[in-house]
Amino acid sequence: MDFGPGFWGPIVATIVMLVGAGLACLMLLGSRRIAKARPSIAKRSTYGCGEEVNPEEVTADSEQFYSPIRRVFKPFYKYIQPGHSGKLNTYLLWVVIGFVVLMVAIALVLR
Amino acid sequence: MNVDYIVAMLMISFGLYCLLIKRNLIKMVIGLEILTFGIHLFLISMGYREGGIAPIVTGTNPASVVATLGVDPLPQALVLTSIVIDVCVTAMLLSLAIYAYKYHKTLDMSEIRRLKG
Amino acid sequence: MIEAAPILAIIIPLMGSFLTPLISILTKRYKKERIRDLFVVAITIVTLLLVLYMLPTVWNGNIIVYRLGNWTPPWGICLAIDGLNILVALIVSGIAALVSIYSLMYMKNDTGLGKYYTLLLLILASMMGVTLTGDFFNMFVFFEIMSTAAYALVAFRRNWDSIEASIKYMVMGSLGASLFLLGISFIYNLVGSLNIADIAQKISIIGTNPMPLVLILILALLMTGLSIKIAMVPFHAWMPDAYQAAPSAVVALFAAGTTTVGVYMMLRVVYTLFGVAALGAMLIVLGSVTMVVGALMALVQRDLKRLLAYSGISQVGYILLGVGFGTALGIEGGLFHLLNNAIYKALLFMCAGAILYRVGTTNLDELGGLSKNMPITACLFTIGALAISGVPPFNGFASKWTIYIAGIQAGKAFFTLLAIIVSVLTLAYLLKAVNAIFLGQRPKRFENVKEAPMTMLFPMMLLAVLCIVLGVLPSLGIDIVTPAYNALVNQHGYIHAVLGGI
Repeated sequence: MDFGPGFWGPIVATIVMLVGAGLACLMLLGSRRIAKARPSIAKRSTYGCGEEVNPEEVTADSEQFYSPIRRVFKPFYKYIQPGHSGKLNTYLLWVVIGFVVLMVAIALVLR
Repeated sequence: MNVDYIVAMLMISFGLYCLLIKRNLIKMVIGLEILTFGIHLFLISMGYREGGIAPIVTGTNPASVVATLGVDPLPQALVLTSIVIDVCVTAMLLSLAIYAYKYHKTLDMSEIRRLKG
Repeated sequence: MIEAAPILAIIIPLMGSFLTPLISILTKRYKKERIRDLFVVAITIVTLLLVLYMLPTVWNGNIIVYRLGNWTPPWGICLAIDGLNILVALIVSGIAALVSIYSLMYMKNDTGLGKYYTLLLLILASMMGVTLTGDFFNMFVFFEIMSTAAYALVAFRRNWDSIEASIKYMVMGSLGASLFLLGISFIYNLVGSLNIADIAQKISIIGTNPMPLVLILILALLMTGLSIKIAMVPFHAWMPDAYQAAPSAVVALFAAGTTTVGVYMMLRVVYTLFGVAALGAMLIVLGSVTMVVGALMALVQRDLKRLLAYSGISQVGYILLGVGFGTALGIEGGLFHLLNNAIYKALLFMCAGAILYRVGTTNLDELGGLSKNMPITACLFTIGALAISGVPPFNGFASKWTIYIAGIQAGKAFFTLLAIIVSVLTLAYLLKAVNAIFLGQRPKRFENVKEAPMTMLFPMMLLAVLCIVLGVLPSLGIDIVTPAYNALVNQHGYIHAVLGGI
């Protein structure tokens, strides 16, 4: 297996990626504002639903971070995520079902 | 069909039933124990020979007699090892059950599920 | 020339773990507890040196066979070391040495450290025992010792989550080990022997094409017991809980050590014992389901160690996918991914441990902006995150590229596409983790967080250097893995070397 020749050698790909990252850095530096943006108190209370929020203490909620992907894979998240309920009897039932599925799969492949 | 095999298979299925249906932790430990004992019974009864003698070479039973008439001693050694391992695991499970009762005030496994998702 | 090097690699950690409680009592009386810690580190390094000593002999193509007590193999226990064994032994002893150096500082705030080091040496001895042995019931006994030490290490801190995670791990693991024992008893009834080479010879006489019903039952029982240990998909439910609750040094050892040993046992059972390379089709489907479920569940996690646990489940799917393709390139890619998985998973869990040690929490909602306080940890975590997603100068790219090319060459381009999509999802959730921990706004209470201590940074830096070296020179990785591939497909050579030309 030769990694060297061709466009997808690791050294060549790394150099291309670093050049691309350098260009992106230049673009970001070129678009910097002179004065740092800080929202006014009226804007902050609108976004904070009437309460006083401090911009330093607010983070993106980590479970809702990828909500578009959750919408795309909705059948999976509706059926399989509740299956990880935390009950031990459910997990042991999976083990027994998995054993039966393995037996059927081996019988299908090797007969 | 040897009676030992049927009893061993019944014990294995009873142990599996206990593990899947019962919710109390102590009952699940007892179910695991019954499952393991069923497997040990199955393993020992595989070394049986009809009308066999104990596999010990003495004055009246020289090595040739033991080789043709004795039951197989190897599964007995395997089961002794496995019983020791099973005792260790049961001891640890029961001590963890004591700690679980101290934290959650219940031994119902469908209530002890704060780690989920 | 140390004749007894294979058995010494098992006995030295075992005797060390028996001596550690005595040394712990003595050093506690004289208040010099560093001596016990350095004793443990010395024993792990001696084990690593013994494995490195056996390396050149095995890589020249010989299979080292060591007979215990000079009994010939079908009637006595033997240790048989070929290319696959030595790769796994190298990974396990290397990671154990680094974890013992890491836990010099990491476990400083815990009490009862004598018992912790005893369990650590015991789990190292049992992992070396599983890897180096050539007898099937001996492998089962060492597998049980490894599992029991693992259950005790998960429950080490005795918090509410450690106890709950250990109970779930223990019940599922014991069910798996009991099914494995049932499989061994069926094999003994069928064949009458317990030596791996002897069983392989007799099963090939019975014939595996088409497979009789008894052998299907035995293979299903053995694979169920082992799949619980490596966390393949329907059997993976214990892994996120156990990895979230155990101390991070221990989790690094589990993710790199016990998972690798479990995959080794499964490869031994399927390829050497039964000789059914045609089972690869089933391994491909199971591997791809594991990959997808692991990646999708990791996208919605709140806790860092739980996210890394689901990521580990996903990487095991890659290994099974690579090995299941069946071509030379596929199996080499799968084994190379096994080596890489050990390296970058241990690195990521050690970084998570460094964050937990300094900050006190791993909840992604509460962390933020730590890159100004912990720059070296941030850099190492980013190297690990890019390596696991398959970004070019790191080792993940080399092994994943090999698996993709093997999929296209084997004619199964759909699975290559699936693997690429899962790689993208891997990059997604790891970038979420990097963003939530190191970039962004820093909460006021983390003003004075210091960098991780040097003793904890040294193993992490060594693993990161290995990531970069194996990525820039991938032919080095393929050279390490080729003897393992040759040993895996050469069932006759193994039988011939152990049974001595019968």
